[in-house]
Amino acid sequence: MLDFVYGLPFLVLELPRLKLKRPSWVTVPSPMTVFAFILLSYFLVTGGIIYDVIVEPPSVGSTTDEHGHSRPVAFMAYRVNGQYIMEGLASSFMFALGGIGFIVLDQTHSPSTPKLNRILLIIIGFACIIISAIACYAFMKIKLPGYLMS
Amino acid sequence: MSTSILSYRTRGWLRMSVEKQDTLLKMAVLSLAAILSFSCRLFSVLRFESVIHEFDPYFNYRTTKFLAEEGFYSFHNWFDDRAWYPLGRIIGGTIYPGLMVTSASIYHILNWLHITIDVRNVCVFLAPFFSSLTTIVTYHLAKELKSPGAGLVAAVMIAIVPGYISRSVAGSYDNEGIAIFCMLLTYYMWIKAVKTGTLFWSTMAALAYFYMVSSWGGYVFLINIIPLHVLILMITGRFSHRVYVAYSTLYVIGTILSMQISFVGFQPVSTSEHMGAFGVFGLCQIHAFVDYVRSRLNKAQFEVLFRAVISTVAATGVLVLVMLTAMGKIAPWTGRFYSLLDPSYAKNNIPIIASVSEHQPTAWSSFYFDLQMLTFMFPVGLYFCFSNLTDENIFIILYGVLSIYFAGVMVRLMLVLAPVMCILSGIAVSSMLSTYMKQIDEVKTEKKKTKFEGNYFMRSEIATFFVCVMSVFLVMYTLHCTWVTSEAYSSPSIVLSARGHDGSRIIFDDFREAYYWLRHNTPQDAKVMSWWDYGYQITAMANRTILVDNNTWNNTHISRVGQAMASTEDKAYEIMQELDVDYVLVIFGGLTGYSSDDINKFLWMVRIGGSTEKGTHIKEHDYYTPAGEFRVDKEGSPTLLNCLMYKMCYYRFGQVYTEGGKPPGYDRVRNVEIGNKDFELDVLEEAYTTEHWIVRIYKVKDLPNRGA
Repeated sequence: MLDFVYGLPFLVLELPRLKLKRPSWVTVPSPMTVFAFILLSYFLVTGGIIYDVIVEPPSVGSTTDEHGHSRPVAFMAYRVNGQYIMEGLASSFMFALGGIGFIVLDQTHSPSTPKLNRILLIIIGFACIIISAIACYAFMKIKLPGYLMS
Repeated sequence: MSTSILSYRTRGWLRMSVEKQDTLLKMAVLSLAAILSFSCRLFSVLRFESVIHEFDPYFNYRTTKFLAEEGFYSFHNWFDDRAWYPLGRIIGGTIYPGLMVTSASIYHILNWLHITIDVRNVCVFLAPFFSSLTTIVTYHLAKELKSPGAGLVAAVMIAIVPGYISRSVAGSYDNEGIAIFCMLLTYYMWIKAVKTGTLFWSTMAALAYFYMVSSWGGYVFLINIIPLHVLILMITGRFSHRVYVAYSTLYVIGTILSMQISFVGFQPVSTSEHMGAFGVFGLCQIHAFVDYVRSRLNKAQFEVLFRAVISTVAATGVLVLVMLTAMGKIAPWTGRFYSLLDPSYAKNNIPIIASVSEHQPTAWSSFYFDLQMLTFMFPVGLYFCFSNLTDENIFIILYGVLSIYFAGVMVRLMLVLAPVMCILSGIAVSSMLSTYMKQIDEVKTEKKKTKFEGNYFMRSEIATFFVCVMSVFLVMYTLHCTWVTSEAYSSPSIVLSARGHDGSRIIFDDFREAYYWLRHNTPQDAKVMSWWDYGYQITAMANRTILVDNNTWNNTHISRVGQAMASTEDKAYEIMQELDVDYVLVIFGGLTGYSSDDINKFLWMVRIGGSTEKGTHIKEHDYYTPAGEFRVDKEGSPTLLNCLMYKMCYYRFGQVYTEGGKPPGYDRVRNVEIGNKDFELDVLEEAYTTEHWIVRIYKVKDLPNRGA
């Protein structure tokens, strides 16, 4: 009975002679690939890309000094929730760099890496961490001149 | 680790077993974290007094007082005729009652124990108390995800993270104060339910979800993230009977319970925001049934049946959904939530949503300001979760990624991001520290025991250095959080303070001065017109009827008020007569330099006033100079210099000297001398101006006795 119902459409339609296979390159991605994508999107979002698209600030600000020349201003000062495009991307690059520094340090524990590689990885890891922390503190100090001073 | 040491040391320091030391240490750290989270939210109570802050908390305070005095049934059926005159507001059906019920219960319990605390103090201190509870729940949640060490680090981090403190200081009596606790409690119960697959934990999760629905509109986030988690478990092949039991129970019981809240009503079965959960529920049943059938049939029969059923079900499902949405039975995504998916929607279509400063997208400095070190540790925590994927880790990864995106769209949602940042950072810090702490002590066994021993370089020195660096990071985090809390997030907004020339503190208490003048010097049924920001405060403190308030549910009514403020006196008088207005209240900062006054908000009044059909004669560019600037001096546009708002703010201001060396009538916020100085008011008379001219109240004159 069910065979008859299934066969009804084929009284009118003709089956094409095709062999369709799911392409072999479509697979569930590995966890680390997904992590790389997430890190990239973290870089973009914390850089304020949505703020840039909606508010459309300039790439760098400008101010005129005493001689009348216009000088670029990197950081939009005195406002916590405002930024120029370049300062946003620079800061989020620092955030991502700090995270990568810690991840690199985590890779230095396996016993089978050669000594030179291990030393280089350790140096890179600590350098990333310390540079990004100091850079973010400096950026914030430029942005809010009263930062960490009561 | 404690069990391996237990095998050869049963008596540690303090003559206790190591297990007991472990418990003592955990309890000590957790208690200190809970006390810390309570105390660091008390800055404004110590500097000023125990007073409710901002605008929205005043409405919550008024409703809590009503509930505590009148009882639950009057509260649930309350129709408020003192707001949105002449429309009124059904309060019982348009609020989330969780916050008020929690405060009223605590008030009644304490008073039953004869600890007589006023309702106002219960409200002020509720948010810090719940932040202590949040600390403890975060510990349990991170413990389920990784280890007790991660739990402890996450707990101390969330105790002081500024992103959470900003909405839960003492005095900030708002839904978010308890909503974050309810959200983390629901997540904890959900993770336990997924790990154990028992009905007990699933039902507890449903009850926690009910508490969450009763407390905040952000419950929509939960009812979408939990089905998304189940969906990802299905895609990655981790669907099991535990997930099936957990989600089916949570969805059925949770949805039925959520519909008991009047404000939610039938939304869970009729709006698109809840359809995802329903779809995943159906998919769960199908998936479990397919697994069951597969285990009973042989392969060939199963393939035929599977293909036939899947194609029919998928086709009918999509068809039904499309038909129902087209027929309007399923409502599409609404304003506030739709603007999360398409951030430019609010800017282009709904000026009221776009005007709220909390709804602006987030810049990098807000992330760093509210989270500091956690922005570095967040990717590291994600990395550790990806390194060993389990069902629970997938949940926290999903929560982290979604909340980063939402926090990027709207500054206010930084609050939802802060807990997951703390949990992931706790996982990261704890994992790295436990790896490195093991390396600090050099294990002095025979040289070259393994052939890889020579590959290590200064192992214990590097480990000590890392521990020092991490300690410095954590100390800097603490300093930053305390500074931010003290400087940025502890201002009550209803009382302002500034430093005089000689360094002494001047307190501006003008708001309360004006509201209490209204309370004592106007008739009981007087109607006050002001911009919607101040509505809740006027009803709560001055106890007078108002036209529009912060609920902003009726855009046309707000637009009418905007038209009155932006028109000339005669046209505004017609609108004020139509709405029975007796008094008008404006906020003016020109004398003190207070920049959040009504002149700075005026352009929003113009935009909103011009956005409805009765206000089409109000065009924004009429209020700008020919050059396109918004100015209040002689160059300003004549429409602006003669509108009602200008006249009310600058009446008699032209004779006042505000700053040395400047002409009279110098506006200290716009930094110009005002253009239209000596004018008289025709339809209003000045009723009261506060000490620093911040709040100005005018009485609307009656119609003249004789015709013209």
